[in-house]
Amino acid sequence: MVGLLVRLKLRLLRNALKSSRQARTSFILSTIAAGLVAIGLFVSLAVLRGQVAAVDLATVSFTTLAFGWLILPLLVFGLDGTLDPSTLALYPLRTRPLAVGLLAASATGAWPLANVIGLLGTTVGLARGALGLLFAVVAVVLQVLFCIVLARCVTTSLAGLLRSRRGKDFAGLLILPIFALYEAFVQIVPRLTAEGKITANSFGGIDAWMRWTPPGLAAHAIQDASTGHAATGLCRLLLLAAIIVALGWLWIRELDRALVTVDATTQAAAVRSTGLPFANRGLLGTVAARCLLYQRREPGAKIFWGLIVIIVAASSASTLLTPAYLGGLLGAAGFGAVFVAIFNADAIGMLGPAFGFDAVALRGRKSLRSYFAGMDLALAVIAVPLFTIVLFVLATVAKHPLDGFLALAVNLAGIGAGIGLSNVLAVLLPYPVEKRPGSPTPKAMDGYKGQVLGAAFCSLLGVVVLLTPMVLAVAFTGHVAGGIRMPALLLSGAVYGLGLATLGVRIAARLAEVLIPELTEVALRSRI
Amino acid sequence: MSRVAISVQGLRKSFGDKEAVAGIDLAIGAGSFAGLVGPNGAGKTTSLSMMTGLLRPDLGRIHIDGVDVWADPPAAKALIGVVPAEARLFERLSGEELLEYAGRLRGIPADESRRRAAQLLDVLDLVPDAKRLVADYSTGMRKKVALGSALIHNPSVLFLDEPLEGVDPVSADVIRRLLTRFVGTGSTVLFSSHVMELVEQVCDHVSIIDKGRIVAGGTIDEVRGGKSLHQAFIDLVGSRANDGEGLSWLGSSSG
Repeated sequence: MVGLLVRLKLRLLRNALKSSRQARTSFILSTIAAGLVAIGLFVSLAVLRGQVAAVDLATVSFTTLAFGWLILPLLVFGLDGTLDPSTLALYPLRTRPLAVGLLAASATGAWPLANVIGLLGTTVGLARGALGLLFAVVAVVLQVLFCIVLARCVTTSLAGLLRSRRGKDFAGLLILPIFALYEAFVQIVPRLTAEGKITANSFGGIDAWMRWTPPGLAAHAIQDASTGHAATGLCRLLLLAAIIVALGWLWIRELDRALVTVDATTQAAAVRSTGLPFANRGLLGTVAARCLLYQRREPGAKIFWGLIVIIVAASSASTLLTPAYLGGLLGAAGFGAVFVAIFNADAIGMLGPAFGFDAVALRGRKSLRSYFAGMDLALAVIAVPLFTIVLFVLATVAKHPLDGFLALAVNLAGIGAGIGLSNVLAVLLPYPVEKRPGSPTPKAMDGYKGQVLGAAFCSLLGVVVLLTPMVLAVAFTGHVAGGIRMPALLLSGAVYGLGLATLGVRIAARLAEVLIPELTEVALRSRI
Repeated sequence: MSRVAISVQGLRKSFGDKEAVAGIDLAIGAGSFAGLVGPNGAGKTTSLSMMTGLLRPDLGRIHIDGVDVWADPPAAKALIGVVPAEARLFERLSGEELLEYAGRLRGIPADESRRRAAQLLDVLDLVPDAKRLVADYSTGMRKKVALGSALIHNPSVLFLDEPLEGVDPVSADVIRRLLTRFVGTGSTVLFSSHVMELVEQVCDHVSIIDKGRIVAGGTIDEVRGGKSLHQAFIDLVGSRANDGEGLSWLGSSSG
């Protein structure tokens, strides 16, 4: 069973190289990333040698990896066929050999190997003497084994849920905290480190509570063996081994259950609505009502708005507490608008085959105007209050809360420009998308990179050009009294934005009137 | 023949080198229950997509109740309802919301849309699941709610692509009875299917399509010519004889 499942995993990995160009590229990039992580982790653990906080930092590294093993399988559940026990449920397999086989399959591949190699950096950074070295090797093996069993136990327990619509929705939303952490590490941590606010000593004492977690036990066992407390180290390793055995037992129990159970939460799920809103607002209200419900129920929409907020906040974070804060605020306002345009530039492809439902009913230019205006209204209803809150929070952090009005004026114009542009691009550069396992949002199908880049470039350039008059208006009215300047700019931004959005709707409707069959063809090719 | 509801003349469509529809002529009378049957890849879905204004033909003319589909698409769309093979539905709306949306999209006032939606849900046996998301519906429920969406504006011509594919017998019976009632009022149905028994049972007119051409058409009796429709179909499009001679190991009596 072990050999069979390991060969299955290797075959699945090899087949990734033979499938689509995108899958091949992802596989190659992932393998390169695993190699870089192995080297980076090994070096970063090795250079801890002699540092006061060495064991604390090692504990943090071990714990971070364990979190990675816990979260990532939930995101890539559909990508690794060996993670889902239901794929093996039809075969006459006994649970224990199956569990051992699945464990071996999990340990196969570039990432588990990268973990082992990277963690072996502790043999240089933390271990002292032959006994320390021996403990380091055993601790690394146990740590990786713990990560694998933990990941298997969690994915098996949640397998039924992760196969269901609700589970997939939940797994998709996990990208938001991960992306927020990534942005924090890329945008904020380097700045704080450069300013001397984060040093190695910042981690001192952090393991007062982490030393009793399984990753902490592994790291401290190496430290104990290297400082003449081999018995304590041995106790820690035995405790870690016992935790792994207990987790393994839990996992086998879950595996037994998962092979004969399905998730039924979606069977009982019902919405509380008593009908679509905007009953008396014609086609515009009908489309806006549907779009608003989608914004609420589609996880992709929540991910999109969440990503925009994180990007806007992180991009302006480096300037907020400097004299150039206003530039950061206005940049955040414009940046948000650009992303609204980029994320909606393929509105029809993203709608997918459901556009066919609308296409058989849309009649003429007037109905298309209402159609685009309805979609835009739903976007504006969310974007305006959301950006108002974000921009005023950023302005308050910058200690100039009233300047939030200036950023909002630019943002209102930008939202109008962004959604107007996205309407036109949705008709001129549509492309089919597909949902892929492991990716929380749909991606363009192979062969449409040109459209994706074209839409992104046009969105960026278009919003920047269309926003220039508004930014100039903010820049050259600094001498005007705030009581006049703020309301005047806000009103100008709103009117200008509304004008641009209306223009976008009219152009898009005129173009779409003759292109409905072609747009439908693209939408029907989407797999979402 | 009564007034022609669907008229197709010289319809052609190619995708690159492949000619999917190679010159189709059809005339379906108003009040007919017509079937379009053919093997996989024969051009059924492509033909229906062109007839419903969703795929631009290379050549040919299509009239629905006298309205030229490609000269005046808005007018033609007002007359038809469409149930595609792979139901293209808004998965994150409930069944009830989807039907109301379909009605309002067609210009029916909200109150009337809700009233019709409730009646359709009742007839289609979907009331217990009316508030569940379409994403959580079974194949049969999806087909039924798609049919309701296509009927809510009371079209004069209804196009259905494989309406009973993957549908359980109970749901199939519900759909069949609703369609029969619809045709009984003088409306027209054109549907594609692989299931000859179904076509034989409910249709009064059938066209057999193969390799993008109509190879036989007329009333059921005319097309089957004294045989079963299934046999007539096999005779017309040819069968692929392969009795699995290489599978000597298969079966209880094998070693």
